[in-house]
Amino acid sequence: MKTGDLIELLTNDVQPMARGLAWRRLAVGVAGGGALTLLAVILWLRCQPLFLAASQPWFWMKASYTAALTAAALMMVRRLGTPGAQLRAAPVWAAGVFLIMVGLGVGQLVGAAPASRLALWLGQTWRVCSPLILLLSVPIYAGLVVAVRATLAPIHPARTGAAIGLTAGALAATLYGLHCPEQGAAFVVTWYSLGIAAATAGGALAGRWLLRW
Amino acid sequence: MTAVHVEAPAKDEVERQLRAWMTASLDGDAAAHRHLLGALSGYLRAYFARRLGAGDAEVEDLVQETLLAVHLKRSSYDRALPFTPWVYAVARYKLVDYFRRSRRRAHIPLEDAGTLLGEDDPEEGAVRTDLERLLGQLPERQRALVEEVKIQGFSVEEAARRRGVTAVSARVMLHRSLQWLNRAVRDEDR
Repeated sequence: MKTGDLIELLTNDVQPMARGLAWRRLAVGVAGGGALTLLAVILWLRCQPLFLAASQPWFWMKASYTAALTAAALMMVRRLGTPGAQLRAAPVWAAGVFLIMVGLGVGQLVGAAPASRLALWLGQTWRVCSPLILLLSVPIYAGLVVAVRATLAPIHPARTGAAIGLTAGALAATLYGLHCPEQGAAFVVTWYSLGIAAATAGGALAGRWLLRW
Repeated sequence: MTAVHVEAPAKDEVERQLRAWMTASLDGDAAAHRHLLGALSGYLRAYFARRLGAGDAEVEDLVQETLLAVHLKRSSYDRALPFTPWVYAVARYKLVDYFRRSRRRAHIPLEDAGTLLGEDDPEEGAVRTDLERLLGQLPERQRALVEEVKIQGFSVEEAARRRGVTAVSARVMLHRSLQWLNRAVRDEDR
């Protein structure tokens, strides 16, 4: 086929693209995957009634950490999906949020009686926390991959997969916080972050295959 | 080397023009889209020829593959950003992918995006991976529609009427065919 013929063919496929289309598709992916994850938290993990969970200050401590990570990671996904764009500040925000949380966790342990430190750090549920967050991140990851494949063009599939995994892990951790009874910063910054890191690593591996175009 | 290399006009001016066409094309302007792809094919041809060697039969393949990608991935362009870095990154991605598929190791330097606009080569070369042949593997209904639009020069609406389908479903069919073609080219062994 001549290149001129190809151009004619492509010209016949022109449709208006709404401004903010990519953001809208990402939002749909996050919302769709997030709804499935929330359903799993409510029906499968049988979390306490949502209003009860949301009325407790420690839920908001955990949620502000993971929601801030989610927002920064989603910014990274959008930027990594735009050929030629710079990542700019989003990774710095994510690192900053993590470091603040590390500071809170360390502060909590230092301020506690030495004998109670291990119990504070491990909580009641350290064995299940990270694996559950990883598992709960899968629907969100899938929703975002569909959105990215449809509207974005990641030049670095593994890096983009990692950013999608970070978004999915952080949002899954936010929703898992509704179920999780733990209240300490040291617990959250360790076991929540470990689950989120696992989702990030898995996302990078899968992204190499799923995000090529 | 038969290609005629033309000294391109100032890069800022080209950027302005390309970006205006891109923006109009995103708003649904088919003529702007045609101008954009036509202009890009010249810059892409010269860029790939510098990397692969002019006259290499794969240069035109890469031009076509990149035009297809520019078309299918145009929703990833952010209208607030300059256009040249976007299209340069797409072209480089396709070049890196080409070397990976052909199992050749090559270092492709990350240059200033403006180098893409350095030379223009409007002379179309011969292709190796013929998109025509790949399109022949499409299911009959899609293949017939693509041929009417491409070879007979019908608009999608006319082709839809001739084939007795709605314009909307003809548009969807054409778009799916192009997405399929993009994957077929990418997975073709070279």
